[in-house]
Amino acid sequence: MERAAVASGYDVHQEQSREAQRQADRWMLPGAIMMTTAILGPIGFPLFLKGMSIQRKAALQGLSVRPMICTLLGYLVIMDSGLNSIGWSLDLVAHHSLINRTLVTAWGNMFDAGYYWHYNELWIGGTGAPGEKSWEIGLVPTVFCMRLAAAIGFLQMKRWGHQWLIVTCWFGVIYWVGYVANMTMFADLRYTGVVFPVIGWWIYDIFYITPFLAIPYLHTVNREIFSD
Amino acid sequence: MNQSSNQGLAPGTRETYSRLHRWLQRGLFVCLTALVLEGTFTFPFLLVWYGWPTLSLQEMCSELQKHRFSDDTRECIYPYPLFGPAEGAGQTTAQDEWGVQPRPKYERIGFRDLVRFRDERLAREAAAKQTPDPGLAIGVRE
Repeated sequence: MERAAVASGYDVHQEQSREAQRQADRWMLPGAIMMTTAILGPIGFPLFLKGMSIQRKAALQGLSVRPMICTLLGYLVIMDSGLNSIGWSLDLVAHHSLINRTLVTAWGNMFDAGYYWHYNELWIGGTGAPGEKSWEIGLVPTVFCMRLAAAIGFLQMKRWGHQWLIVTCWFGVIYWVGYVANMTMFADLRYTGVVFPVIGWWIYDIFYITPFLAIPYLHTVNREIFSD
Repeated sequence: MNQSSNQGLAPGTRETYSRLHRWLQRGLFVCLTALVLEGTFTFPFLLVWYGWPTLSLQEMCSELQKHRFSDDTRECIYPYPLFGPAEGAGQTTAQDEWGVQPRPKYERIGFRDLVRFRDERLAREAAAKQTPDPGLAIGVRE
């Protein structure tokens, strides 16, 4: 007997949910990409909020869209990785560009002289602070790339996205602890003559604590919502 | 947990963790907003603090180098040769207290101090031209 080619109510609901999510992501993704460029943030943020509002409306209509906390978490990880990668990639491979020698060293002079003291003096260029360059080499091509990939999988509600976000968020704890320890060990050279030392650095950088907010969620969420 | 107890909870959130998830969501939104604001305003703020538009980007770059290496003769080379040596390699003018914890001797740069440094240096150089005194012409700032 042939199966009837009529879509069931469940199929219609699934299709509408998928379409609503796709429509919301069409606003949120370009918004997030603009926000990771730092300077285009004012354009990207409204696009992102518009996408969030579409998703919220769909959820209120009873459609099966991604939970809001997953959306915030996934896109925040994208932003955190993107913003970290911009600064560190400039220092790693574009240390003699005018924008880097002006704005990154100015940032260093304002918050952390690791990006000012004896800048562009090592043969490899960029920061002269012991340890800082090692973190860049260690993290930009590995953890931050992995975090970006994991966040994309997570936003697609894939099981591997959830798992890899856990892995890379624990990496995040390691690099936070290691980075702060390294910075503190060389506090004299990094905070002498700086415009807003130590407390200024903390106020500026505390918003990168995404891993510490993500880990409690990732370990307590019901994993059945992520598909294989 | 039965279906009715899940009413109002986001998919994946059990009742036990609903409060935790609510607070985490708030924290995530605060961080996201803060990163956007920081990302947006950091560069313009730095530009204004360090002398733009009175100083061009290249002049800012030069003033920062003069300050960092305590050497008024340094200029920011732009565009920098692609495979050239590191710009500061071999410099001998930077002032530090050397030891296991090096400590730079340069001073904190206040709001638009780079403009003041530039003006004072130009005034010194103009004065040196009028009264050619080799001692003044060196003009190295501590």
